[in-house]
Amino acid sequence: MSSFASRRCVSGLFAITLLACSACAAAASPWAGDLAPIAPADWNRARAAHLLERAGFGGTPEQVDALARLTPAQAVRRLVRFEGVPATTLPPFEHSGVFDEGLDPFPASRPATTDLARERGEALGVQVKPDGNRRMQPVVNRFFYWLRASRLETDRVAYWWANRMLTSPRPLEERMALFWHGHFATNEEKVRDYRKMLIQLDLFQKQGLGNFRTLLIGVAQDPAMLAFLDAAVNVKGAPNENFAREIMELFTMGVGHYGEQDIREAARAFTGWNFRGTAFHIDADRHDDGAKAVLGRRGRFDGVQVIDIILDQPVTPEFLASKLYRHFVREEVDPALAAELGRRLKAANYEIAPFLESLFLSRDFYAPESVATRIKGPVELLVSTYRKLGLTEVPGVPDFNETTSALGQRLMHPPTVAGWAQGRSWITPGLLLERGNFALDLVLPDINYLPGDRYPVAQAGYEIREVHERVRSGQDLTTATRPGGGAGGMEMMAMSSANGDRNEDFNTRYGSYRGWQMAVERVKPIPRTVARLDLTGMVLGAGCRTPEQAVRHLEERFLSVPLDAATRGKLSAFLQKELGTADLKAAASYAEDPLRVLLHLLLSRPEYQLG
Amino acid sequence: MSTDHTRRRILKASAGLFVPGLFGTIARAAAAAEADNRILVVFEMSGGNDGLNTVVPYADDRYYRLRPNIGIRPDKLRRLDERFGFNPGLAGFERLWKDGQLAIVHGCGYDNPSFSHFTSMAYWHTATPNSGDDYGWVGRLADTMSPQPAPNFVLNIDSTQSLAVRSRVHTPVVFDDPERFMRSALHEERALLDDVTVASRDNPSRRFLEQVAVSARESSLAVREAWSRYKTPIDYGIVPLGLPKVAACIAAGLPARLYYAGYRNNAFDTHVQQPDLHQRLLTYTADAISGFLRDMERLGQADRVSLLIFSEFGRRAAENTSLGTDHGTANVMFFAGKAVKGGHYGTPSDLGALDAGGNLVHTTDFRHAYASAIDGWLKLGAADQVLKGRFAPVPVFG
Repeated sequence: MSSFASRRCVSGLFAITLLACSACAAAASPWAGDLAPIAPADWNRARAAHLLERAGFGGTPEQVDALARLTPAQAVRRLVRFEGVPATTLPPFEHSGVFDEGLDPFPASRPATTDLARERGEALGVQVKPDGNRRMQPVVNRFFYWLRASRLETDRVAYWWANRMLTSPRPLEERMALFWHGHFATNEEKVRDYRKMLIQLDLFQKQGLGNFRTLLIGVAQDPAMLAFLDAAVNVKGAPNENFAREIMELFTMGVGHYGEQDIREAARAFTGWNFRGTAFHIDADRHDDGAKAVLGRRGRFDGVQVIDIILDQPVTPEFLASKLYRHFVREEVDPALAAELGRRLKAANYEIAPFLESLFLSRDFYAPESVATRIKGPVELLVSTYRKLGLTEVPGVPDFNETTSALGQRLMHPPTVAGWAQGRSWITPGLLLERGNFALDLVLPDINYLPGDRYPVAQAGYEIREVHERVRSGQDLTTATRPGGGAGGMEMMAMSSANGDRNEDFNTRYGSYRGWQMAVERVKPIPRTVARLDLTGMVLGAGCRTPEQAVRHLEERFLSVPLDAATRGKLSAFLQKELGTADLKAAASYAEDPLRVLLHLLLSRPEYQLG
Repeated sequence: MSTDHTRRRILKASAGLFVPGLFGTIARAAAAAEADNRILVVFEMSGGNDGLNTVVPYADDRYYRLRPNIGIRPDKLRRLDERFGFNPGLAGFERLWKDGQLAIVHGCGYDNPSFSHFTSMAYWHTATPNSGDDYGWVGRLADTMSPQPAPNFVLNIDSTQSLAVRSRVHTPVVFDDPERFMRSALHEERALLDDVTVASRDNPSRRFLEQVAVSARESSLAVREAWSRYKTPIDYGIVPLGLPKVAACIAAGLPARLYYAGYRNNAFDTHVQQPDLHQRLLTYTADAISGFLRDMERLGQADRVSLLIFSEFGRRAAENTSLGTDHGTANVMFFAGKAVKGGHYGTPSDLGALDAGGNLVHTTDFRHAYASAIDGWLKLGAADQVLKGRFAPVPVFG
């Protein structure tokens, strides 16, 4: 939208347009682009709130007050360097115990599994039956068991992580992990192993504020990433370019700063890099140790050397610094500023913490162009809402993963290797409505909610429920698993619907159903606690005595931009009408419901999406 | 990145210069659009569909030499003629082909092709290869057809908005699940929830959010009503790819003229173990598209609707060692619909004249096909403006 503003301003066709734009982003404010640190005299509560919003996930008024009492340098050091802040005491992830030795290595697909079983008489640690019908059924059941169990366990990992985001005294650790998760995007759907996803998350949490070279090497040797970008087929003599391409295009340099030949040669340097179980492993026989020419350098490079060559490119620190800037400060970065940021990151030897420290201290970070112009991502929206409410646990209803997924961001499931598009991509008409619906589910929980980790709900679960009913009614498996119930009614069956699985060795649909049952038996349930809110206590405790004061309190607590006076007036009038009085204290015994509806209204506003 | 930025700025600065001259043309185009009521559905196959294993040049031995393992044998193909056969999964397309409602445009691509999904898709979305634009080509098309904001003019079936539909004038309606495309709210708060206007001046992000909020209010009811009234006996297959939602909106008489739907999230990125997966993806695609067109026939809308089908690139001519294919270049595009003159268009890329990277060399700039949609189908006479250059339409609409 600054493009919109700048076009209007630059074209300058109408004086009126020009005047109207004098306050807009294009007419840069004095601090815009100024990387000098702000002075202690310029520090105030609003700036402390802005800092906590971006370098953390926001917080309660008390937490903002505490930051405001420090100097800006102290406040930033507390958030970035964790000075005087204890490490998180949250327990590590509690495994359900779904993995068994025979499951590793997990074949690429169901056909690959049954081929293996046919060839060897066993697969996934399960023997093929010597005789009888559906001899490979137990193998197929086992295949679907792991798919399902790993998926469900990954949802538990995501919950565990969300709870860290909510409660960690070092929120930037989790925010950086989230940033890197989007940068080095890896999806469980392809990795098919929650253990690898957890190991990758651990790397992001531990190394996210550290040195980028260490992190990048860690990612290049990370089992989840290796699985995601097809390391297993990147071998001497037949390099697979997937990882080499993405490391240059998405992780470090961006398009236009390397050639196709560089990718092909770099891919050779990474040949033989793979994993065994959950550990990095170099298969020396499959590594190509011949001479390679990468980005103008020539030698018998291995993967780490290629990474060092990439880190030596002038564009790399600029690319990375700009991405960090766009995430933490604002979407538009001017080329001169990008170059300066790149120089700073390079001068910091790719250390992320000092770079972010100088960013969060800069006047530019507190310029009007930067404040409350950033559209919160879905995960950030939920976590910051919970933090501002003072919750100590992520509610089980609404479900964190289903909600963020409906809003466009499911942890451990970025849509592509490029991660999530940021900024305005988070918002469409449909998604904006969903954000309001989340707020309603939070203040007045959905009583009809069925947890998808226990019951096969919605579309995905329809087939499972159907098969379940029919198997239980004593139908044979072929009948019980026939798609669409066999009742007909379709005018002409599409080809895909007619392709029932007719293999006599096993029944895929039954395997999918049985695998679901086996997974539910072992994966621990997500606790379905509902947030216990006390908005009445919150506003009365803050000294509010009138509906308007209550509106103002909630507005200041939750919104980064003030409402316009008319909207505020309407909301106050609404609350007063629902309370039946202008005396908040007198209404205390029944004010909770009206206040919750008010909060729903407030969190549904366009303004609430900004942070 | 900085060069991109500079280029965008130059484009922006120069865009202003053309404004006075544009108005007349836009007005004419708008009038033409008014007189007609045709609908364009753009269908995206994200991930780089393997064109060579979609429309297989089975008579060319070089195809089988390039693909000794994943090349599809002639007896498995759905033969179109003595040169080409469809992937066995494309039963739905075969039906359209026999009915003369499917056009294949061969050898589509652009100069200096990018092998990046994201870059190449952005080129296709904006119709500006090796350059960029703030708006998508469908968005610019919408701006030409309706220079004033019109509610529900562009519909994008997805959870996130495609760059292709980004428009200067319009706020596209973007939704995934029509049943969820609504505000849950209590009776007493509904009026206040709907109380949004576009008012802010000093915060462009806030202004953007207000615009989207207004668009949401104005479209959610229409879309939900359309969906709840829609019932079809037609089978769209296992993965309907958003097309029943498009059909519902058309059936309900929504004013939308431009729809955008498709396969998402790099589904067609078949680097490894391609054959089964690719055939399945094509089956779903062809089932959904042919089901959609039958549905249009049922609804009496078949004369109004055409589809343009594309992917961001084809794949490497030779198979890789993982029974898959890597990112490539030139590819087939399709047009489908009753008004389409079925058959082959363009020139297939020569398997004997691959480029240095072993890739197909394109014979038709994809913007010629876009021009067919703009001028051949929608009869706007505005392809030059929308595409920012002269591209003669491929005569798929006569």
